[in-house]
Formats: sequence, C-alpha cells, structure tokens
Amino acid sequence: MRIDFRMDGGIAAFPGLAKPVSIDCDALPAAQTARLRTLVERAGIFGARHEPKASSSPDARAYTIAVDDGGSRGTLTVTEPIANEALRALVAELRAHADAQRRGR
Amino acid sequence: MCNHPKPERPRSIYCILPPHMLEHIAKHGDAKQREIAIDTLSTDHTMRHFRSVQAALAPRRAAPMPTAAAPSANRTIYTANHTETLPGTVVRAEGGKPVNDDAVDEAYDGLGATFDFFAAVYDRNSIDDEGLHLDATVHYGRRYDNAFWNGQQMVFGDGDGDLFNRFTVSLDVIAHELTHGVTGDEAGLVYLGQAGALNESISDVFGSLVKQYARGETASSADWLIGAGLFTSKVQGVALRSLKAPGTAYDDPVLGRDPQPATMSGYVKTSTDNGGVHTNSGIPNHAFYRAAIALGGHAWEKAGRIWYETVRDKRLKPTATFTQFARYTVANAAQFFGADERKAVHDAWAAVGIKAG
Repeated sequence: MRIDFRMDGGIAAFPGLAKPVSIDCDALPAAQTARLRTLVERAGIFGARHEPKASSSPDARAYTIAVDDGGSRGTLTVTEPIANEALRALVAELRAHADAQRRGR
Repeated sequence: MCNHPKPERPRSIYCILPPHMLEHIAKHGDAKQREIAIDTLSTDHTMRHFRSVQAALAPRRAAPMPTAAAPSANRTIYTANHTETLPGTVVRAEGGKPVNDDAVDEAYDGLGATFDFFAAVYDRNSIDDEGLHLDATVHYGRRYDNAFWNGQQMVFGDGDGDLFNRFTVSLDVIAHELTHGVTGDEAGLVYLGQAGALNESISDVFGSLVKQYARGETASSADWLIGAGLFTSKVQGVALRSLKAPGTAYDDPVLGRDPQPATMSGYVKTSTDNGGVHTNSGIPNHAFYRAAIALGGHAWEKAGRIWYETVRDKRLKPTATFTQFARYTVANAAQFFGADERKAVHDAWAAVGIKAG
C-alpha cells in the first residue's frame, strides 16, 4: 500500500512543508503498516474521490490523501478543522510520518 | 446580497448561507441550485449588506440607545486541551485575572491590543463594528504548527517546539487572525487568487500596524515582520513574512525559502494554497510598506487609514483584483487626505508593478 500525502495552506506558504510526501507502507514495520491500514479503512479513503476546493477558513490547512493498494484506491481532500474523528486520526498519523521524512529521522 | 437580478426569484435560504456553502452548492448542486448560488455569490454576500437588508426589513425596530461609553472588548479564551475540538473549555473570560498559562494570557492580551487598536484608531467596535465577542481557542491539537480563523473564532496551536513556538507568541499573528474576521465582515474577499492574496495582505498590514501601535513605532522604525519569534532557534529565518522585503523572511533546509514576490514580475501562478494567497500577498504587502514609508510618521494614521477605508469601500467586490484594490486606495488617499497622499499611494503601487490609474 502506498499513501501520498500533501499539506496545503496554513498561516504561511512554506515550500518545504508543502512538498508531497510518499509513504511506502511495505517498507515500514508490520505493526505500523497495520495501524495505517486500519486508519485508512476507518477514514473511508478507499473509493473516495474528492476534488480540492477553496478553503472557507483563512489560514486553515487542507490535506490531500491518496491511497493506492493495487486493486483499491482513493483520494480525499479535507480542510481543518476536521470534524470526522477517523479522518482526524489519520491526518495526525500522516503528519507525523511526513514530519519524520522531512527532518530525515 | 439578496437582491437577485430576476424579480420573480424569491428571497431564499441562499441569502443567509455563508459563501463557502454557496461555493459548494455552485460546484455540486443541481442546475437550478447552482444558478441561484452563483447569482448570490456574484453579488455582495458580506455581513455589511446582510445587515442593511435586515435593517430594511425591520424599520420599526427601536434604534439602540446612544451611549457615551467607549467600546470595550468582550473576550473569551478557551483551551482545546490538545484536542481538535472547538471551542473547548473556557479558561479566561473578560475581566478575568491572568491564569499563568502563556498561551491563554497572550491570546487574551493580544485580542485586547487588537480590539483597542481598531477602536482607538478607526473607531471600530470589534470585528463587526457592533461589539462582537472575541473568541479564541489555544492548545489546539498536538504539536500543531498553525493558527487560523474558522469564520467565527481564532484558533492557535502550541507549535511542535522543534520548528515553531506557540502561535500566540507574536502579537501580529493574533492581529492577523482577528483581521480576517474584519475583512470577512466588511469586504468578504473570497479566499482564492488575487482576492485571497488581498485578504491575506490586509491581515498582514493590520497585523503589523497593531504591533507598531502597541510599541509606538513609526513606519521607519518598525521591523515590518509578521511572526517574529515564532520560529525556534533551529530555524534559519526571522519571521513568516516581511512587508519591507518580501522573500527574505526565512531560508531553511526544512521549511524551504520564503517564496514571496515583492513585485508583479515575480507573481506566482499556482493551484496550491488557494492560488498562492500567502505567496502573492507579498505584492500588496510591499505596496503598503512603500506607501507607509513615503507618507512617514505612524503608519496607521495615513497609510493604514487609507487601506482601512478601502476594505470598507462598497465598491470593493469580493472578487477584487490587485489593480481594483489599488485604484480604490488611490481614490481614498485623495478623498481622505489630498494630492500628496494620492501621489504617494499611486507611486507605491507603481513600484510593485501595478498601474493604479
């Protein structure tokens, strides 16, 4: 399973933080992969197809999540504040992965 | 707002829907819904007009009693307790003592300083000029690197401690968020493309002016930075943005380099960040800086007043371009001041590549 994650907007345009991040779940420890898969399924990403739209909340961030698992795939864009608890948990997890990648840890 | 061009069309739910819902309907509704939503969006959907319609519908309502008392802020600071639930729990209400929590007390003081600025300088009573209560939530999320205005309240994260400190640390960031409320109320500039970049720039302009007013600085002594103090010592940069020198605020291995252009020759066409609202705002930001320097003294007195009157100007449409906004600032410089001020504002826009008449 591969997850492409992009963060857009926020109080300033940071080119470094806006770069898309790709997470190859097959390269992660099994426990992390299982956790991500559960979060993706709970958040209902598979089969989703949402077009990005203009934010109604100035400085709020938008997150675009694209998941490709061979047969199943889906894309979702969500804008803060995120009301859906499952989506919120997935975004928090992906943000942590993205942070770690950017900072080379 | 509700004066649909076709007289047979009744007043409808579309009149009270916020613009983002109208935009959603315009994109996803059926043909008739889309038509009405686009009609409504293309006219004026600001609270300014909404109130004028309300006033027209209720002519017999008694006028409020005149009061001699100066307006005062009505603040409530909430904590999200590191969740993402809004607004959270009240931790300090208006008149309450400091609670020994930096984020709470900075938000309280920052909202107070912003309220005082708009009241004292432009005789404005809060976000809506009708004494709207000021709500802010701090400790939003975990390691949350952002602050935003959700249409009703301000929201501040604590930062991750690695790149960013808490977002209440800069007065201009607090004032930036509150000014989004003012712009939404007065001009309703859509958060997309040039109108969105103007929306952003107006928040930076008044964010900076609130700080300058609180410090008693002149245009030439101010730092013209937005978010100084927000970065940790690990970041190579001084602030989020600079009105004086857009594009120079930071250059860091993780954050990248400040992408703001100062002039139209560097205008960035992009689909990200709602069409580059935080990038191209550098252009009107720098025009304001140049106007303020040319006019001299305290920047809020002349340049700030001209910009404020332009945000309130009924000619300013929600989809305004840089050129339209620039022209109204030039007209307002002449109307509220005189020929010298008109020339200073005109030349400031010319210097960033915008011909303002």
